[in-house]
Amino acid sequence: MSRIGVFVCHCGENISRTVDVEQVASAAGEIPGVAYACDYKYMCSDPGQNLLKKAVAEHKLDGVVVAACSPRMHEKTFRKAASAAGLNPYLCDMANIREHCSWVHEDKKLATAKASDIVKLMVERVKKGKSLAPITVPVTKRALVIGGGIAGIQAALDIADAGHQVVLVEREPSIGGHMAQLSETFPTLDCSQCIMTPKMVDVANHPNITLHTYSEIEKVEGYIGNFQVTLKHKARSVDESKCTGCGICMTKCPKKKIPNEFDQGHGLRTAIYVPFPQAVPNTPVIDRENCTMFQSGKCGVCAKVCGPGAVDYQQEDRFSVEAVGAVVVATGFKLYSIDRKPEGSPIQGYGEFGYGAIPDVIDGMTFERLASASGPTGGKILRPSDGKEPKQVVFIQCVGSRAREKGISYCSKVCCMYTAKHTMLYHHKVHDGQAYVFFMDARTPGKGYDEFWRRAVEEEEAVYIRGMVSRLYQKGEKIVVMGSDIQVGVQVEIEADLVVLATAVQAQDGADLLAQKLGISYDKYNFYSEAHAKLKPVECATAGIYLAGACQGPKDIPDTVSQASAAAAKVMTLFSKDQLERDPVVAKVNEKYCVGCLACKKVCPYGAVEEKEIRDRQGNLVKVVAYVNPGVCGGCGTCQATCPSKSVELDGYTDEQIMAMIESL
Amino acid sequence: MNAKANKNQSSCIEPSYYQAVTQAIRTQAVQVLKDGTVAGVVGYLPGRRKGTARPALITTPEEAEKLIFSPACVNNLSVYLTKSKKGVLKQGRIGIVAKGCDMRALAGLMGESQIKREDLFIIAVDCAGVYGSRAERSESVTEANIARKCHECTVHHPEGADFVAGAATELSGLTPLEAEEMARIEALPQAERWAFWKEHFSRCIRCMACRQVCPFCYCEQCLCDKNRPQAVENSPRPAGNTAWHIVRAMHLAGRCGGCAECERVCPMDIPLNLLNRRMAKELKELYDYEAGLAPAEKGPLNQYKEDDDQSFIK
Repeated sequence: MSRIGVFVCHCGENISRTVDVEQVASAAGEIPGVAYACDYKYMCSDPGQNLLKKAVAEHKLDGVVVAACSPRMHEKTFRKAASAAGLNPYLCDMANIREHCSWVHEDKKLATAKASDIVKLMVERVKKGKSLAPITVPVTKRALVIGGGIAGIQAALDIADAGHQVVLVEREPSIGGHMAQLSETFPTLDCSQCIMTPKMVDVANHPNITLHTYSEIEKVEGYIGNFQVTLKHKARSVDESKCTGCGICMTKCPKKKIPNEFDQGHGLRTAIYVPFPQAVPNTPVIDRENCTMFQSGKCGVCAKVCGPGAVDYQQEDRFSVEAVGAVVVATGFKLYSIDRKPEGSPIQGYGEFGYGAIPDVIDGMTFERLASASGPTGGKILRPSDGKEPKQVVFIQCVGSRAREKGISYCSKVCCMYTAKHTMLYHHKVHDGQAYVFFMDARTPGKGYDEFWRRAVEEEEAVYIRGMVSRLYQKGEKIVVMGSDIQVGVQVEIEADLVVLATAVQAQDGADLLAQKLGISYDKYNFYSEAHAKLKPVECATAGIYLAGACQGPKDIPDTVSQASAAAAKVMTLFSKDQLERDPVVAKVNEKYCVGCLACKKVCPYGAVEEKEIRDRQGNLVKVVAYVNPGVCGGCGTCQATCPSKSVELDGYTDEQIMAMIESL
Repeated sequence: MNAKANKNQSSCIEPSYYQAVTQAIRTQAVQVLKDGTVAGVVGYLPGRRKGTARPALITTPEEAEKLIFSPACVNNLSVYLTKSKKGVLKQGRIGIVAKGCDMRALAGLMGESQIKREDLFIIAVDCAGVYGSRAERSESVTEANIARKCHECTVHHPEGADFVAGAATELSGLTPLEAEEMARIEALPQAERWAFWKEHFSRCIRCMACRQVCPFCYCEQCLCDKNRPQAVENSPRPAGNTAWHIVRAMHLAGRCGGCAECERVCPMDIPLNLLNRRMAKELKELYDYEAGLAPAEKGPLNQYKEDDDQSFIK
C-alpha cells in the first residue's frame, strides 16, 4: 500500500475563495493509499514547505501531491522540498486546483467536488509513479542569431563580447535591416546610419562572429544546448572569398535601371549590386531575375571587368550545418502595404486610398529615404511623381493599425513618434511648407518622447488634426484629402502635394514558416510569442530560443536594443554551465513488444527515435525495434499516442498511470 | 504495363482466362525457383474440394507446377510474410503471388518497415475478380457471384511488380455496391447510424479473425490483448466490442488497402470493409491520399507539412 501525502493550499484566498480546501483535504484523507492530508494558507511559503518536509519524515510518505497552483508555477519548489525530505522529486506532483479550478469556477460546491477529483487523479498518478533521475546533456557554447537588423546585431555583439562564438544569419545581401534605411531617429534626431554603420562594421570585424548574409534557415533540429541548424546560402554569383569590394562590376553593369529596394523602389541600382554603399559585407550579389547574363546568356561584363575573378555565374545554393546551443530570433518587421489583399485575407487593403495607385501617396519608410542624405533625392524632399518640392504635406497616422475592421487591432507603437519626426524633418528642409497630421491619439510614452511630440506641434508648426481620413483622390497635380476634425466637428478637405501614410508594422513575410521550423509559437498576426508576457518576455516557450526586437511585436529602437541585450544575457546564462539538467520525462520503448513499424520515428518532432537491431548471442538479427535517445527526447508523448501496440511510454505519464487516473473517476 | 483496360462486353469472365494466368504463374515460378532468384514462392494450390484454393509456400520447381490461379484465390497472401510467418522471409528472397489489392498491402508493409522490396519477387496477377463468399465454386465469375470489393476495384492492373501474369478484361458496368451502401448509411440520421453499428457490433463474438487475417495487424502484442493496463475489454460484450471495432478502424485509417479480408473471414457477417472504406474516403477527401498505391515513407496521418491546414490553431 502506498503512503501518499496530500497538501492542499489556500493560496491566500485564490483557492479557498471558491474551493472548500478543508473538505478537499479531508476527502483526500479517505482515498486508499493516502497516509496524510492537510491544508495550509500558503503551501509555497517556508512554513508550508517545512510542513511538507516534516510530514514526509513523520508519516513515512512515499509520494506527495500538492494541491495548489499550476505545475508551471511551483512544481520545482515542491519537488525541491520533497527531495530535501529524502523523496525522489519525481514522486511529487501538483494537482492544479487554482488555474484549472478555483480561478475558472464560481459555484463553491461544484468547484470543491472538482478539486477533490483533481486530487484523486494525481494521487493515482503518484501511486503508479516511478523514481526517476535527471538527465544531463552537454551545452554547445555557440549561439545562432537569426536576422541582421539592429536587434540581431546588438544580440550578436553582446554574446560575442562575452567570449562566445556567434553565427549571425541575414537573408538580405547586407546586414543593417530597417534601421539602416532611416534618415534620423527620434527623439534626438541623430543620424541613423551614423550610429548604425559602426555597429555593422563591428560585427564584420568581430573575431567571435561568423556572418552569413544572403542566407536563410533551412532546417532546425535538436534541442536546448544542442541544436543542429541547416543554413541555406543562396547563390550570390560572386565568390565572397575573392571579391575585394572594389565595385567596378557595378559601375560597368549595363543594366542600370532597376528600382532599388533599399530606397523603397525610388532609387535605381544595377543588376549586380550592393543594397547601399555602407553595406556589410561589401560584396555585391547578382539579381538573377534582372541580369542579362542569366536571362539571355549574353553579357558577362561584370565577369570580364572583375580583377580577382570573383564573379561566378555557375554558383549554386549551398547548405551548411551549424551546431549551436542557443538561438536568438530577431527577424524584425515589414510595413503594411495598402494594396488590395488577396480574396479571403483577414487583412483588408485601403480602397478609400485608391489601393496605392496614386504615386504621391507614400509610406513612412519612403519618406525616410526622401529625407535621407544617402537617399534617391540626396536628402531633398521631392515628390515621386514629378520631382517637385511639395508645399503641403499630409501625414496620416494609424493606417492599418488599430483598425479592427481592416484586420489589425494592435497599435504599431512607433508611428506617432516617427510622424512627429517627419513633420520636423520636413519643416527643416522646406521652410515655406506646411505639414498636416491626421491622428487618433498621440501615444508618446518613452524618455523624452512627449517633449519631442510637443516640439513638433508647438515649435515646428505641424498642424495636428484629430480625426481620420475617409478618402484620397487625385485632382490634377494635387491629392485631395477628405477627412474630419472631430474636435471641431467639421469635415476637412486639404489639397496636398504629398501624402505620407504611417502604415502598420507587421511581422516579416515567412515569420510563421520560420516559427514552424524552430518549433516556437506565434500569434494570429505571426508575431512570435514570449513564454510569459511579464516574467519571461524574451524567452520562447521552446527552451533555448530567445526573441529580440520587432519579430515579437512592434518596437522602437531603444526597446529593441534593450530586448536584444536581454536575450544575449539569457544566452550567456545558459552558456555559463557546461552541462544542462533535463527532466527525465522521456519516452522508453518496450523492446519485447515493439514490432518496428517506426511510426514513432515518423511522428517524433525532435528526431529522437532511432532504429535499433536486436541480435541473439550468435549475432543473428532477431528484429529491428525503435530506440528513443533520451538526450534528444522532448517528452511530448506523440510517440506514445501513435504507437499501435502501446510499446512506447513516457516516463511519468505511462499508460498505467493514465488509465489509473481515468479509472479513479 | 502490358495490360490494356479493355472493357469486357460479355457478362462473365471465361475460365480460360484464369487458366492462362495459372500457366503464366507456373512458368514464372518454376523459372525463379530454378535460377535461384527466390528461395520460395507464396502462392495458391488447389484445395481439397473441387474449385477451391489454398495458400501455400512452395520451395521446389516441381511443386511450382501445381500452382494455380482461379476465382477462388481470394486470400491476401501478404500475411504469409509477417506475424507468425516471419520465418518465411528469413529463408531468402521470396516470390509472392499478388492481386492488385494484395499489392497495396505489400506496399503498405514496405512503408512500415515490415518487409523490404528487395526481399520480394512479386508475381502480380492482372486480376479480373474473385468469388464472393457465397459463390458456387464451379461457376464462371459474373456480376452475381463476384466479390463485393471487386465491384469497385481500381487496381485490376497492378503496377510495380517484377512480373505480371495475364492481361485482364474485367466485367463492365458493375454496381458499386459498397459506395451505395456507404451513401445510404451516411444519409441516415446519426441515431440510426449508431443503431446500425451498435447492432452489428453487438453480434461480434470477438473471435479476432478479422485481426488475424489483416496484413496490417502485425503487432506482436495487440493493444487489445494488453491487461496491464487494459485498454479494451476483451470479452464479447457491447462496450468492449465497440471499442475493439473503433480501434481496428482507426488503426487502419490511412493504411488499409481495401483487400476486405476482414469482412470475408467474419463469421458474423459484420460489414467491416464498410468502416475501412469510410476511413479511406475521409483520407481521400482530407489529404487526397490513397493507401498502398506506392510504398509511402510517411502516410498523411503521421507526418506534418508546412502547408498543412493550420487554420484550426489560430
